[in-house]
Amino acid sequence: MRRLLPAALTAAALLLAACGTGGIPQSGTASQAATPPDDRLDTNATVDVRLVLEPTSLDIFGTSGTALDQVLLDNVYQGLVGVDTGAGDKIVPALASAWETSPDGLTYTFHLVRGATFHDGSPLTSADVVWSLQQQIAPGSKAVYGSSFTTVDTVSAPDPATVQVRLKQRDSFLLWNLTQRGGIVYRQGTDFATLDGAENGSGPFRLAQWNRGASITLARHENYWGAKPKVAKVVFHYIPEPNAANNAQLTGQTDIETAVDPTLLTAFDGNNAFSVLKGTTTDKFTLAFNGTQAPFTNPAVRHAIRQAINKQNVIRAYGAGTAIGSAVPPQDPWYEDLAAVDAYNPGNARKLLADAGFPNGLSLTLTVPAVYPAAISDVLVSDLKQAGITLTVQAVEFQTWLSKVFQQHDFQLSLVDHAEPRDLVNYTKPAYYFGYDAKQVQDWYAQARLAATDDERDALLKRVGRQITEDAATDWLLLVQTHTAVRAGVYGVPQNETSNRFSLSALAVAR
Amino acid sequence: MTLFVLRRAGLLVVSLFLASLLVFALLRLLPGDVAATIGGIQATPEQLAVIRAGLGLDTSLVVQYGEWLAGVARGDFGRSQLNGTSVSAELAAKLQVTAPLIAGSVLVAVAVAVPFGTWAAVRHRGWAGGGISALAQVGIAVPALWLALVLVLVFSVTLRWLPAQGFPADRWAEPGAALESLVLPSIALGLTEGAVLLRFVRSAVLGVLHSDYLRTARAKGLTRSRALLRHGFRNAAVPVVSVLGLQLATLIVGTIVVERVFTLPGVGSMLVTDVGNRDLVKVQGEVFAVVAAVLLIGFAVDVVHRIVDPRLQEVR
Repeated sequence: MRRLLPAALTAAALLLAACGTGGIPQSGTASQAATPPDDRLDTNATVDVRLVLEPTSLDIFGTSGTALDQVLLDNVYQGLVGVDTGAGDKIVPALASAWETSPDGLTYTFHLVRGATFHDGSPLTSADVVWSLQQQIAPGSKAVYGSSFTTVDTVSAPDPATVQVRLKQRDSFLLWNLTQRGGIVYRQGTDFATLDGAENGSGPFRLAQWNRGASITLARHENYWGAKPKVAKVVFHYIPEPNAANNAQLTGQTDIETAVDPTLLTAFDGNNAFSVLKGTTTDKFTLAFNGTQAPFTNPAVRHAIRQAINKQNVIRAYGAGTAIGSAVPPQDPWYEDLAAVDAYNPGNARKLLADAGFPNGLSLTLTVPAVYPAAISDVLVSDLKQAGITLTVQAVEFQTWLSKVFQQHDFQLSLVDHAEPRDLVNYTKPAYYFGYDAKQVQDWYAQARLAATDDERDALLKRVGRQITEDAATDWLLLVQTHTAVRAGVYGVPQNETSNRFSLSALAVAR
Repeated sequence: MTLFVLRRAGLLVVSLFLASLLVFALLRLLPGDVAATIGGIQATPEQLAVIRAGLGLDTSLVVQYGEWLAGVARGDFGRSQLNGTSVSAELAAKLQVTAPLIAGSVLVAVAVAVPFGTWAAVRHRGWAGGGISALAQVGIAVPALWLALVLVLVFSVTLRWLPAQGFPADRWAEPGAALESLVLPSIALGLTEGAVLLRFVRSAVLGVLHSDYLRTARAKGLTRSRALLRHGFRNAAVPVVSVLGLQLATLIVGTIVVERVFTLPGVGSMLVTDVGNRDLVKVQGEVFAVVAAVLLIGFAVDVVHRIVDPRLQEVR
């Protein structure tokens, strides 16, 4: 959920002009052409990329938002470990070339790559790693991802190339959390207040220019310790308006257009100058019930609402996506197709409502950030009408949603894109705005964190995923599919989860 | 004249003060705060309190207003709560886009309105006059947003003459590229305003055409066009300048839409983003600057009136 705000805005912004003509576009490819050999590449190339949402600040330590991860993670800053979004989110080496876990699962030993340096030329040593992790766990830390590391007891550096993390208890989520923002290795003594203007990362690119309100430029770090990037510069252009983004791509102002509006894909159909990549996301459009409030305290009402909504109608309104039936996307190892739980059945929905004491239906209010396409709310209104529920849609600004729904829990139904990867934890917090309180789910989740093996962890999380849908904790309308338009002659473009991570290390341009 | 200017200046100061109070108060009615933007939604209430205190959001509104006003009086619009950048500096940077955009739009508006409006007046009985008036009516009805999309489709996507969106990162380092980026937005904004202005030019010139002094001028042997040029325009200019002044205010608002469509990093897009982030110190500065600009334009229009038309002085 920590990434929800920007990602939600992103998803919304790319849909602002969705015209609701329906139909799921068939264009797009699953994979892209192999990168040609180096002698056929233009290593002086500048690649122009369209992104949707601009970061509010470049202080990646203290400011939340996926817009920051998208630009800076992997490219400017690195952690001990990373994620390969092209290989089902596999955890891969980054600043640590290898690591091992003690048999009791309480000690992680990381071996740093040789020769890594920061952009200012100073060597990256285990002391920097220790210092960075200590900033995350320090009491009163302003680190936005600090809460991921509550299990960490001590961090130490036996020698300049080795880091040891001692845990208070087993934590099967630790490695994953280290791939995220909280795992970034900063130069020891970094003043986070200055990060907005001056970075000192260890990644293949350095920050060259931030033209606020328009673009961020990254330039190849010529003395990068690893494999050198194949392009000289990447300019991220922030173009929220989907039509303007399409025009920029069609006229060659950009080479790569991320998050193409699925209803505007026809612009690239049958055009050999472009290819369209289909990608996975972790964007789950979640219909939340205020679980602590009547009538949602009655599970029958929640099940009725879920059965009244035809997910395929919602997907058609959005343009592209899949029904997953729970909060787990297919790329997570504990995924299970649960779309059949509370399958579309308006007749049964009516019956459930009547049995629950609402034979004449009921009236509900949906609070939704105005940035999402109205077509989704329209589907909900008409589908729920079939089951006898009169839905009033209250479209609000995102900041208003934050204070009213998220902080004050002043709502009945809410619709928000939960974009964060691996965010099942939200269903274990009774104080969260869902107001979902299930002891069994909390126990399974805690056991999963303590699990000795990945298989054990995955089995437990699978149970969590199934339980929350059988309890109708919330409803999941769709998992978004993302489209990236690429100019012919551009290779190595990130395809999956592009709003969370956008690694530029494989990017190449033909001469 | 001096007394008039002084009186108007006094009124301007009072208006500015009231505007500052209104801007400050209205923004405080918005739900949500910048701390939520910084902390995101995983932040605990305690964490948000720490961020709020760090930003001075826990002090009373009176103190916040007083500090802001004192800063503005010194010309210091404060700093962004989100990232600490100077509001004045960023405003100055964004004005490098918005000011030329407004100037370009006025240019387009005047270039359309004055010649065609005059023509429509002179030929008001012929098909040309009627045709122009009808076209102007259409121009007023067309929203700048739609016009912008059509212009992009024709001149960017199809003909490839001008960029579809954006502005050079180095702003005016390459004046050619910067100007190119502003052509379509200026036309989109200027044509609609020009259509409105055209009708005022037409009626002003029509009024002048039937005036006694023009008849006298023609009786003395001037052709109609020379009489119009020498005696008519100055008189017709009075109402047109007032309308143009009023339109400048609507143009400033219009830039918000056009800057969004063309992704221009100007004052309009900045304002929309900052309101969304609840960066209130910044929004205050920006809105106040815009309000001040509108009030100043009104002030300038009044003074110009006096200069153009000395008769106004005798009336009061």
